Amino acid sequence: MNYNEFKQAVIEAAKEAGLTDYELYYSTTSEINTEIYKEDVKSFSSSKNGGACFRCIESGKMGYAATEKYDEEEAKNIVIRAMDNALSIESEDEVVLYGAGDSYQQVTKKAEALPSADIMIEKAIACNKATYEQDSRVIDATESGAFASNVTVSIYNSKGLDLNHEVSLSGVYTAAVIEEKGEMLDSLDFQLGNVEEADIKKIAKKAVEGAVEQIGALKAGSGKMKVVFSGKMMATMLSTFAEVFSAENAQKGLSLLKGKENTTVASDIVTIVDDPFYFDSSLQMPFDAEGVATYTKEIVKDGELTTLLHNLKTAKKVGIKSTGNASKLTYSSSVSILPYYFYIKPSGQTKEELFSLAGDGIYITELQGMHAGANPKTGDFSLGASGFLIKDGKKESCVKGFTVAGNFYKLLANIEAISNDLEFILPKGLSCFGAPCVLVSELSIAG
Amino acid sequence: MISKSILNAVLAKALSTGADFAEVFAERTLSKNISMIDSKVSEITDSLLSGVGIRILKGTKSVYASTTDMSYSGLINCAAQVASALSGVPNGKSIHLTETLFGDIHPIRIVPSSVPNAQKIELLKEGYFSAKNYHPEISQVMGSFLDVDHNIMIANSDGLYTEDRQVRTRMSISAIASKDGENQTGACSPGRRMGLEMFDEISPKKIGEQAAKQAVTMLHADYCPAGKYPVAIENGFGGVIFHEACGHSLEATSVALGQSVFSNKLGLQIANPKVTAVDDGTIPNAWGSINVDDEGNPSRRNVLIENGILKSYMIDKLGGRRMGMEATGNCRRQSYAWEPTSRMTNTMILAGQDKNEDIIASMEYGLYAADMGGGSVNPITGEFNFSVKEGYMVRDGKICEPVRGASLIGKGSEILMNIDMVGTDLATGQGMCGSSSGSIPTDVGQPLLRVSSITVGGR
Repeated sequence: MNYNEFKQAVIEAAKEAGLTDYELYYSTTSEINTEIYKEDVKSFSSSKNGGACFRCIESGKMGYAATEKYDEEEAKNIVIRAMDNALSIESEDEVVLYGAGDSYQQVTKKAEALPSADIMIEKAIACNKATYEQDSRVIDATESGAFASNVTVSIYNSKGLDLNHEVSLSGVYTAAVIEEKGEMLDSLDFQLGNVEEADIKKIAKKAVEGAVEQIGALKAGSGKMKVVFSGKMMATMLSTFAEVFSAENAQKGLSLLKGKENTTVASDIVTIVDDPFYFDSSLQMPFDAEGVATYTKEIVKDGELTTLLHNLKTAKKVGIKSTGNASKLTYSSSVSILPYYFYIKPSGQTKEELFSLAGDGIYITELQGMHAGANPKTGDFSLGASGFLIKDGKKESCVKGFTVAGNFYKLLANIEAISNDLEFILPKGLSCFGAPCVLVSELSIAG
Repeated sequence: MISKSILNAVLAKALSTGADFAEVFAERTLSKNISMIDSKVSEITDSLLSGVGIRILKGTKSVYASTTDMSYSGLINCAAQVASALSGVPNGKSIHLTETLFGDIHPIRIVPSSVPNAQKIELLKEGYFSAKNYHPEISQVMGSFLDVDHNIMIANSDGLYTEDRQVRTRMSISAIASKDGENQTGACSPGRRMGLEMFDEISPKKIGEQAAKQAVTMLHADYCPAGKYPVAIENGFGGVIFHEACGHSLEATSVALGQSVFSNKLGLQIANPKVTAVDDGTIPNAWGSINVDDEGNPSRRNVLIENGILKSYMIDKLGGRRMGMEATGNCRRQSYAWEPTSRMTNTMILAGQDKNEDIIASMEYGLYAADMGGGSVNPITGEFNFSVKEGYMVRDGKICEPVRGASLIGKGSEILMNIDMVGTDLATGQGMCGSSSGSIPTDVGQPLLRVSSITVGGR
C-alpha cells in the first residue's frame, strides 16, 4: 500500500470511529552519504525513511500514534491507539487543529534533487586529496565526506488542510588531522549547498589551518576575563539555549524569560531574528507543523524581547496569534516549538576591532560538552573550550584545555560589541543557528 | 519478520556485484512515552518503527541502504541499491541460512506494551508527586515513563539467521527548584532491560525524591570554585568519566582508523594499576545488555583494562577487518536506519580495595562529585568534559557545603593515570549514548574513586 492509499484508509478508519477532528502528518527523508578515508571510499549509504503520525481530539484531549508500516491493519490500529492515548491525557490546555485559510509566502529557494552517487564520491575524494595537499603534517586519520538529504512534509486534516512541502540540505566536509611531535590535532570544516559547486580547496584549507593553529597551545590561566566568541561558537551557544525563547517552556516555568515580553533581556546592541525564509537557505518553510503560515520576525530587538516563539496551544493560552513556530522533532513526536533560521544580527565592526576593544582576553573558537555542561532551565553553563589569547588588542597564541563558565541570560546582557560577519553552524532538523563574533564583558575561565 | 526464501534472494542480489559479505537487519519496534508536567499527564507518543537495513562489505569498504518498504520488491530494490555501489561480479558463494538461537538471559515478567496506560501512569505519578511534594521550593516537575519493545532479525551471507527481542523500561523524573528568580535542577532516570517488574526493585517514590532533593540542594549551593585539585567521584553515573575519557577511544570506530590516542597501545600501561575496567553486555536485565549484537555476534564480557594494562578494544566486524582482529560482540545501532558500528554496552571500572571513608579523608581540599551529568570526548585528542550535577567541597577530609555549576575537563590518557584510589562498592547508572550509529542505551559504572588532580571549571 502506498502512502496515498494508506492516507485514504486512515481517513476511513477515523470516520468510522466517529472522529470529527483528526490529522495525519507524514514526513519522509531521502538521504545519501559518503565517507572517504585515505583517498578512497570508506562507506556509502542511502536511505529512504519516514513515517506517518495520526492525531485526533477525543473528549477534548489530543491523542497521538505513529507508524512506518502502511497497510489496512495499521491504518485502523493508529486510530485506535491515538484515541486510547487521548483518554489518558489530563492536561486541561485547550487543543485545536488548524483550518485552511492562511495564505502562505512563496519560498525563494526550492529543494534540490539528490546529487548522483558518482558526483558525491568524486567531490568527497577530491576534498580528501586537497586536505593532504595542504600540509605535509596531515595524517591518515583524516576523513572527508559528502552528504545530501531531501525531506518532505505533508499535513492533511479534517479542517480542510492539505499541505505539502519539500526541503533539501547537502554539503561537503573534511575533518583534518595533523600530527606534530607525537600529538594529534584535528579540525573540521564544511560547506553547505550544491555538492558539485563546493569549493573543496577552501574547505581543505580552513580545516588544515584550524588544526595547525593549535600547535604548541598554551594553558589559559584562570580568572575573570573578557571573551570574544567566534561566530560559530556564539551560534552554538544560541542553539543550546534557544529553548528559552519557547513560549511552551516559559509557560511551564522552564525558561526565565517567562513574562519578560517588552522588557530588556539583552544588551541594546543585540537583535535576534527568526527567519523561515532566510535567503541562502534550502530549508525555507512556508508553514509550520500545525499548518500555520510562517513569517520573519525579530524576537529580540535592540535588547528588548518582542515575543516568545508560539504554537497554537501556547498562543491561545495568552490570547495572541501563533508565531508559526510549531514543530516536530521527528514525525512521531508531539507538537512543540522550534525556531527556523535563528541568528544574532551582525553589526558594523570587524573581528579585529572586537579584539582591539577587548584589549586583553580570550577568543573562543571551540566549545565542548554543550548537552551536559549547559542548562537552559537555569541559564548556567560550564564548558570545555579552546581558542586564542587576546593580548594588547591582538590575537596571539593558541590556548587549550580550559573551561568557560557563566550564565546565558547574563551573557546576553553583557554583550559589548558584535562583528559584521554572520556564520551558521550545521542545521538541526529545520532549525539553523547563526551569529557573528561577539565580545562579552566578563566570563570565568579556568585552566 | 521476513521469510528465509526472500532473505536468500535479497542477500544474493546484494552480493551480485562482488561484495564478499551481505547482511539484512530487520526491525519492528513499539515504543511509548508518557509525559507529565504541571502535575498532569500532558502527552503520550506512541510509535511503530518498521524497516530494513542492508549492508554489504568488500574488504574494508562498506555500503549501506535502508528502507521502510518491506515488500518483496522493496527489499530487492534496496539490495540492488547497495549492490550498485560496486561494479564486480558475484563470487559464486552459495548461501544457506541456518537459524541460531542465542537464548535470552533477560527474562521479562510484565511486558510493558501489553499493559494499559493507566497502570504505567499510576507508577509515574508515584514518582512524580514524591518529587512535587518533596519541598515548597519545588516549582515544577517533569516526569516520563518510556517503554520499548525492540524486535530484531539478522541474516547474513555467512549463513547466520537469528532473532532477538529487547524489552526496556525507564522512568525519568526531573525537578526544578526556584527562589528569587533563579532556577536549579535535579534529575533521576533509572532504566532496565526489564518490564514493569523493574519497579519491584526500584521504588518510583525514591526516584522522585532523589530528583527533588538534588534540585533543592543545588538551589542553596554556591558556585564551585575554579581550579585544579583532587576530585572524588561517586559510584553509579559517576562511571560516565570512564565512558567518555576512555570508552569511546577504545571503540574500533576510532581505533581502526588511527583516530584514537589508544591506537596501537595493546599490552601497554594506559591507566593507574588500580584501574580494571570491563565492557559487559551479558549482565542479566541491565540497561545496556544484549543477547546478541546488531550484526549477530553473541554478547560478551570483555576486559578492556586489567591493572592498568590495555587488554582489549571493542570491535565490530568491519573494524575487525581493518585491525586484523575478531569482533567482540559490540556492534550496535539505534535502528535499521543506521549503519552499525562498534559501541559500548555496560562499561565500568571494577571495585578496588580502598575504603570510601579513606578516600574522602585523604583529601585536604577538593571536590566530592556525588552525581554527574553527561559529557563528551574528542577521541582524536582524548580531550573530554563532563558536568557535575551535584557536588560538595571537601576540606580537611570532610564533605562540606554543596556547590553548583562545576565541570571537569582533561585528557583521557592523563586522567586514567591519575585515578589513584578505587573504592569497593560498584554501582551503575543509565544513559543514552550518542555516536555515529545513533543513540543507544548503555550503562556506566564504577565504585567511588579519587582523581588526584583534574581541572575543575567553575566561577
